[in-house]
Amino acid sequence: MIRLSGTKHLLGHRLWIKDFPEPVSQIQTSYLIVGGGISGLSAARQLTKRGISDFVLVEMEGHLGGNSSNGENQYSKYPLGAHYLPLPNFQDKELLNFLEEEKIILSYDTKGFPVFDELQLTFAPDERLFYKNSWQEGVVPKEGNSKAEEEELVAFFKLMDTFRAGKGQDGKYLFDIPLYLSSTDENSRSLDKITMKEWFVKNNFTSEPLFNYIDYCCKDDFGLGIEYVSAWAGIHYFAGRKQDVTSDKIESVLTWPEGNARLTSHLKRYSKDKALKNHLVYELKIENNKVIAKTFDDHKKTTVAIVADKVIMATPQFVNQYILKERKQYAKEFHYAPWLLATLVVSDLGDNFSFPLSWDNVIYGAKGLGYVYDQHQSLNQVQSKKVITYYYSFSGPDLKKTRKEIHKKKTDYWKQMVFDDLKMAHPDIESVTEEMNVFVLGHGMISPVPGFIFGEAKKQASKSIENRVYFAHTDLSGISIFEEAFHQGVNVVNQILDETTLDS
Amino acid sequence: MGKKFIKFEFLLLFAVFIIATCGLVYELVAGTLASYLLGDSVKQFSFIIGVYLFSMGIGSFFSKFFNKNLLNTFVEIEILVGLIGGLSSVVLFLLFESVASFQFILYLLVFVTGFLVGLEIPLLMNILKDKVEFKDLVSNVFTFDYIGALLASILFPLILVPKLGIMGTSLFFGMINISIAIVLCFILKSELKRSYFLKAKAIFSFLLLLTVFIFSESILSYSEGKLYGENIIYTNSTPYQRIVLTHNKSDYRLYLNNNLQFSSADEYRYHEALVHPVMSIAKKIDRVLVLGGGDGLAVREILKYKDVKAITLVDLDQGMTKLFKTNKVLTDFNQNSLNNSKVTVINTDAYIWAKSCKVKYDVVIIDFPDPSNYSLGKLYSLNFYQTIQNIIQPDAAVVVQTTSPYFAPKSFWCINKTVMAVFPQVDAYHAYVPSFGEWGFTIAINGFNTTFNTVNRKVSGLKFYNYQFDRFNYFTGDMISNEIEINRLDNQILVRYFDEEWGKLQ
Repeated sequence: MIRLSGTKHLLGHRLWIKDFPEPVSQIQTSYLIVGGGISGLSAARQLTKRGISDFVLVEMEGHLGGNSSNGENQYSKYPLGAHYLPLPNFQDKELLNFLEEEKIILSYDTKGFPVFDELQLTFAPDERLFYKNSWQEGVVPKEGNSKAEEEELVAFFKLMDTFRAGKGQDGKYLFDIPLYLSSTDENSRSLDKITMKEWFVKNNFTSEPLFNYIDYCCKDDFGLGIEYVSAWAGIHYFAGRKQDVTSDKIESVLTWPEGNARLTSHLKRYSKDKALKNHLVYELKIENNKVIAKTFDDHKKTTVAIVADKVIMATPQFVNQYILKERKQYAKEFHYAPWLLATLVVSDLGDNFSFPLSWDNVIYGAKGLGYVYDQHQSLNQVQSKKVITYYYSFSGPDLKKTRKEIHKKKTDYWKQMVFDDLKMAHPDIESVTEEMNVFVLGHGMISPVPGFIFGEAKKQASKSIENRVYFAHTDLSGISIFEEAFHQGVNVVNQILDETTLDS
Repeated sequence: MGKKFIKFEFLLLFAVFIIATCGLVYELVAGTLASYLLGDSVKQFSFIIGVYLFSMGIGSFFSKFFNKNLLNTFVEIEILVGLIGGLSSVVLFLLFESVASFQFILYLLVFVTGFLVGLEIPLLMNILKDKVEFKDLVSNVFTFDYIGALLASILFPLILVPKLGIMGTSLFFGMINISIAIVLCFILKSELKRSYFLKAKAIFSFLLLLTVFIFSESILSYSEGKLYGENIIYTNSTPYQRIVLTHNKSDYRLYLNNNLQFSSADEYRYHEALVHPVMSIAKKIDRVLVLGGGDGLAVREILKYKDVKAITLVDLDQGMTKLFKTNKVLTDFNQNSLNNSKVTVINTDAYIWAKSCKVKYDVVIIDFPDPSNYSLGKLYSLNFYQTIQNIIQPDAAVVVQTTSPYFAPKSFWCINKTVMAVFPQVDAYHAYVPSFGEWGFTIAINGFNTTFNTVNRKVSGLKFYNYQFDRFNYFTGDMISNEIEINRLDNQILVRYFDEEWGKLQ
């Protein structure tokens, strides 16, 4: 059985023509948050933390979470987007506090390091790679490389270690999370002007396994491959995470069967009874020191005017350009990679007696990014059926064109694409698959092409309007990761409240 | 006359064709069996082909010593090849476990078959030499010989082995071989001497092969029993494991997925050592929890303490506990313990069950299979023992089957160290169980109001454990390992240790 679904692009696309009815009712609130993804939910949490309870959050979809959402079948929950959170940097106290509040960090040890809940850290074995016809441990191609290839891998990781530890003259890390904390050092920032591939060539790297590995990593975090992504972003993938939060384990991640929807479920507690789902804001205007948001209720098919003192736009810029005036010139500089996720229920998954099924399973040379075993964090001894989620990012030079083509394709096309890609490692995948759920995200995530992260468009788009309308979204960070969204939410609230304090 | 002779020649050439096909099939059967039973297929096939061809040469050489009654000899050999070749796989299967010089018998059979086939071709040429032009004779005989070989080598992997199995294939071709002999006996009876005698021989041999062919299935299962070295009296594949019970003299053995679970001759040592230390050390023994142990043997020991009010046994495999509740031989071993009114059997995943358990136990006995894979490794993790701590009383005692400290010291001390990270008092001890070797346990007390050397209660009549705990917790240097890590769900270091240590032994 095959099913195809995706984000509500048909409703979203009505923003182009705005064939919505005029408002018939009104809601008054101090703060309006537009968008129920992690940025918006984090803003709601921060408002609550700072003692503010008079706010409303609106979300176009029927559920909260944005890219941190999930699905569920009779065997397991599974992610419909982001599915893990790497261990935060030790200096990221804000995030560590959140994790402690939610009992993901259970305590701090005598040396001051956080103790993470064993059940929420990825169980071993965490990663494997199908390389040279068998599975091997880890996602870096290891067994079967030539000596020269081996040396390049070593040299590359050594270089990344240097970048990770590196600081600029301002005393800040060259690469940090959240990204705005990174140094303004000119040398490292100039890396944003070239692609990761150009950097690869410039540094005299030639090995194919290394090239493919970096390409995989770039697609995994940015949706764009090595040829199209900014070198600064590419290196940030390796150097941004300081791996300094525990004394023993340096590269673990936190994960759940439903992926980051678990974090959503923690965050959405703060907007309980304050969230309007299936609501689409289609126009925003400032009038008489108030912001009026015309909001279409997709269930009742009526429009409500939400009148707020201040508005937080926790929506991506490709949406904002239709809601607010004069934002198209910024939005056209923002590129979003489409993604496809396919969750399969399989009766069996052979591993030809090499390395056993792991949490993350990558196939070297495949088009997609491999698959995640969704029941990996289960404590059970046996599973009657296995549930896996396959990830595919549409990397390419013209994402807009790609997106148009995607929406023309039919279910069977995707089914075959997923099977063909998985067949490299699982020749019998078609016959063991009992169910497949394909989920397409037209705008999967912000993709940092060269010049974007430190460019003008992003800077301008981040600026608030008349101290009434504020912006928070990962596309304003430049990379789409949980940490950025979380801090976008926290920071926008702090900015609003601290400005107000200054004003009065 | 001419017509009759053509028939005669054609018949014998057809015989050559069959002989060649059968001969090669026997050779392939021997090669397949050898690589199946002995491993290293390249070596086995190479040696067998070599020996077969060589013995054909020897056979050819000796053919010159046959001068009389050539046709009779030819038919006799035909019967003999069919019989020996046909039965070769059966003989090899049956002898694999019990004969030390298996390889000798293997090559002897290959040699004899090759020798006889080697005899046949020159013999046939001698029979026909006066009747056919030599040039035609050589060309025809070898043509049919090689066509037969091609046919065999194509049919063997594609059709014969998948359809008939190795044993069936060799028996089937033995029968074809002998059928040719029978046909020859009837058609050429005028040219044969004492043809009735040959006929009888051939038919008898054919029937013999047919009988074996019909019973080849049960012979195969008998030989599986031979692989265990004991008689299999019961087998059952549950969704989780293959249960095999064997019997040999007075000893019964239970295997789960081919791993020995217990031997009736010495299991009392294992189960007394597993159960009685915790039962005597624990502050109270009202409620006892057994995780794993679906054979009910640990429960049998626990029931010796009359103060026990309730025993809960959690075992994943219903097939296993059902077997030990109903099978007469097995309920004799566990003294019908699983049917005792104090005992509740729960068939579910122990980890999941423990997470939601609301009852607090006084004694916990953990008897899981060794941590040989990542699934089982979870049942030895830090989080698992923390989960156990949540469902026990203060001063409860816990024992964990901890694999062999002699064969796998790193694994043993890894489990011990993991348990130590959770419970206030932890120790280790070991016992010698002849069928297992030196076996070990980790024991813990959830408090300080009792000690490992305290005997709060005891029962009489034990054969092995004498309630002197300090006689069991001394470890010699060859059972010690240092510098090991705690086993956590996110590192599963134990599975790596275990694989490293037991992998070495296999």
